[in-house]
Amino acid sequence: MTPQVQAFWIFVAMACLVAGFFLWVARSTRQAHEVNQDAARRLRRNFFYSLTGLLVIVLALTLRHMPYPVPTERPERIIFVVGKQFAFGISSRPIADDADWEAATYSAPVQIPTGAMVEFRVSSFDVNHGFAVYSPSGELLGQVQAMPGYVNRLRMRFRRPGIYHVFCLEFCGMDHYRMRGLFFVVPRTNTQSHTRSLLAGTGE
Amino acid sequence: MPLPVAGDGLWQEGEARAFRRLTLAWMGTMMFLFSTMLLLGYFMRLFQANAFRTMRPEWFYAVLTLHGLGMVATWFVGGMAATGYLLTRYSRPSIWISRLALAGTLVGAGLLAAATLFGLFGTGWYFLYPLPFYSSGVWPPWATGCFFGALALLFSVWTIWVLDLLRAIASRFPLRQALGWHVLSGRPSLGVPSFVLVATVSLIAGAAGLAAGMVLLGLWAVEWLRSGYSNDALLMKNLTFFFGHIITNITMYLGVGVVYELLPGYAGRPWKLSKALAWAWNTVLLLVVLAYAHHLYMDFAQPRVLQDTGQIVSYFLSVPAAVVSIFGGLALVYAAPMRWTLASWLFFLGLMGWAIGGVGAVIDSTVALNSRFHNTLWVPAHFHTYYLMGVVLMLLGFAHHLAVDLTGEPERPAMRHAILALLAIGGYGFLLAFYWAGAHSVPRRFAAYPRELSQGVAAARVAVVFIALIVIAVALYLWETARRCWRAFSA
Amino acid sequence: MTTARPMLGSVVALAMACLLAAACPASAQDSLGQPANTPPDETSFIFRRVPDITITPIEGSPVTLSALGRSSPLVITFIYTRCGGVCSPFLESLAAAARQTGGLGSAYRILVLSFDSRDTLADLRAAARAHGLAADQGWIFGAASSPDIARLARATGFWFAWHWSSGQYDHPSLLIAVDQGRIVRMLAGATIPPSRFREITDELRGKFVPSYPAQNRRVAFRCFRYTPGGGIQIGWGFLVLLAPGALAISSALWIFARSRGSAS
Ligand code: HEM
Ligand SMILES: [Cu+2]
Repeated sequence: MTPQVQAFWIFVAMACLVAGFFLWVARSTRQAHEVNQDAARRLRRNFFYSLTGLLVIVLALTLRHMPYPVPTERPERIIFVVGKQFAFGISSRPIADDADWEAATYSAPVQIPTGAMVEFRVSSFDVNHGFAVYSPSGELLGQVQAMPGYVNRLRMRFRRPGIYHVFCLEFCGMDHYRMRGLFFVVPRTNTQSHTRSLLAGTGE
Repeated sequence: MPLPVAGDGLWQEGEARAFRRLTLAWMGTMMFLFSTMLLLGYFMRLFQANAFRTMRPEWFYAVLTLHGLGMVATWFVGGMAATGYLLTRYSRPSIWISRLALAGTLVGAGLLAAATLFGLFGTGWYFLYPLPFYSSGVWPPWATGCFFGALALLFSVWTIWVLDLLRAIASRFPLRQALGWHVLSGRPSLGVPSFVLVATVSLIAGAAGLAAGMVLLGLWAVEWLRSGYSNDALLMKNLTFFFGHIITNITMYLGVGVVYELLPGYAGRPWKLSKALAWAWNTVLLLVVLAYAHHLYMDFAQPRVLQDTGQIVSYFLSVPAAVVSIFGGLALVYAAPMRWTLASWLFFLGLMGWAIGGVGAVIDSTVALNSRFHNTLWVPAHFHTYYLMGVVLMLLGFAHHLAVDLTGEPERPAMRHAILALLAIGGYGFLLAFYWAGAHSVPRRFAAYPRELSQGVAAARVAVVFIALIVIAVALYLWETARRCWRAFSA
Repeated sequence: MTTARPMLGSVVALAMACLLAAACPASAQDSLGQPANTPPDETSFIFRRVPDITITPIEGSPVTLSALGRSSPLVITFIYTRCGGVCSPFLESLAAAARQTGGLGSAYRILVLSFDSRDTLADLRAAARAHGLAADQGWIFGAASSPDIARLARATGFWFAWHWSSGQYDHPSLLIAVDQGRIVRMLAGATIPPSRFREITDELRGKFVPSYPAQNRRVAFRCFRYTPGGGIQIGWGFLVLLAPGALAISSALWIFARSRGSAS
């Protein structure tokens, strides 16, 4: 189950809990009676502590899993991405101008070896776009904004070989929903030379 | 007893009547705009279900923009009008400023409709910089001008309105009391209603949001009028979400304030200004201006501290809401001699929608998950929960309360049951389709879904059925409430 | 808080300075590359390999660039000792920036190469001494053969053009950060602000700078910039962001102070 779907079920469970509680309270009005104010206050205090505690725990667990790159890691591949109405140019060469971008959108898709840490350097030539990577089975894996005037760096690793689609996740105009890109993740062979030749594919 | 109460020194009979009629006009506007925007929402979901295969996507995006801004505006003014009305118990909000706001809102809404429906202006409701300048040939410059003109008009009249309500509060309560600080330092509540505290917090935050909107418009104008000058996209994004988040967030709070004031009357118990309540809302005032940072998690250019702050603040904003307002509302109702009417049910269900939307929001505000939820349908899912099943219900409850109050016509239980059941089933069904699609990676703001994301079409088809139930529920509601409002208005 | 604009301006200024400076004793000189009034665009060169040229440093025996780069990442820059214009103030500002940001000699070294074939090692030694850098382990002054200089210049977008009228070279001032044989960042400008230099050294230390402003945009009111301290500097834009909150609070205070609620 993907993290999203897990979160969905957690959400459904909690929503049911909340709804059940509300309905229980609504039913309680069938027999009105005085409520012990102290008990209510105690209950609220306990609720406060348990909710705060829960949030602190979840914070502690999740703040460590930020998608932002860790300084000590160095990427194995750098991929340049530029969004422009209405396509993504994705290339292992820097994309400096419209001609580079055009070339990147028409040339063969970039290939990334499995397990390699890639750094996407993402920018935009016009409006904000969203660079979102989808797995071959259509699962959203991660994203970063493509913002004019900035280069945002997103680091990812791909385990499964296949065709990875890129969709635009920041609204950018009439063909926003058709704006896309793609790259391949290919198995990393155990022969060193192949790996090296794949890695050397950048730059020159 | 209908407000404003004439003869207690604050209001004269003529003024009181004028204020009532004005509030009814506001409620009529709110219901009219709501039902139109609702149909536009229906149109969009049908579009996403591939019901209009030959229609150009420009239409979807123009409607998206109008629906989004229209709804945000509708419920903001609805909340403001209800707050102003309830404030007449304690002080004198200006009738003329409220009238000015009504006129400005109507003209602004008209201009927005023109820009989007005639000009096909389609940037989404938060017109993210610099999209309005890159129309790719879809909308002409006059539409951009019309759109920004409308915003300038709306922001101006709303700012005046917000400041006037603050002035009205200030004329009766010193700031210390309006913010409940005297309770914090251990003194009795001195008759300050908790509603006033909620309203004060919302209005101050609202003023900040509107000011951000004005600054934003200023930067837009400078770039538009002076060539060679360019804005910082990151700054513009920060300002946009500062404005957008606060306006939508305080709309929720305005609705909650209404519930604080009116639900006790149905429960037969007071909702007193306690120490916890004062703590909670002061915390909200402090945090609400920072929470917007969670809209920029996917902007890696934003300093890391702001990202961490975003998550921490978003998490802890839920504590006062849950522990004080929602728990407080439940404690108020629990085993109370409750008078269940359409209005009180709508208040109660509105609190429930707020709580459920909050769960969805906290999940999304976790940065680690936001990587996979940002700008998917999960986002509209949670804010539609806040809105449609939260503040919308609260304010529809208010309108109904008002209508019954002013006409004295009793409501029909059968209608009440039908409306509530259809709203709850239709609403949560519609929302669940959003959540499910978001969890299955379907992006928001897609006019049509590519083959790889065909689950989006499936979700839209399911949603369409549930929206039909909402439409029926709203039609029944209007039959019950709008008619009464009209009768009260023309009486 | 502009970035691109002063840099463009300063490069043009430096070209002018080189042109107008007092003439040096000159012989026929060569030129290389296409003069342009914009600096080389970093994005066109980033992550490319630099050619493995041979360098003759002022101390020690000739060494290849790859051998030099093995012990630490390098920041490469081009000068010529007879420059009557920008080279000297440029080196001063670079030295100042390096002092402020720290790490020179340990995290990286600066390689100052002469592109003028007339420059002898003695000339370079004198230049290093003049700037008080001759004994500094972090600085390497050196020369290379003309073909090698040409190869390196082509790989980095550097150019120079001889002007007979002034007897000076016209050339941009450029910093090229090289790690493991690849260009990781480039920076152009007649002077080097410590904040921008910090971005380079951070990159060389493997420290992550989450974004950097792309070139060729004129932007007013930037929100944030990276400071020599490694932190984030608040720009005017950030104040713009704080304004709404301040405005709201002060107007609320004013409203309440004005009417002094007739407390109930
Ligand atoms: C039954 C009622 C409603 C329906 C059927 C509906 C439907 C929709 C749909 C289909 C979208 C586009 C989702 C997407 O991004 O793909 C949308 C967006 C939106 N809706 Fe609604 N909606 C309803 C009620 C509301 C309410 C009550 C509000 C209150 C503020 C609201 C505010 C918005 C906003 C702000 C957007 C985002 C617009 C944008 O992305 O620019 N909606 N709605
Ligand atoms: Cu896009």
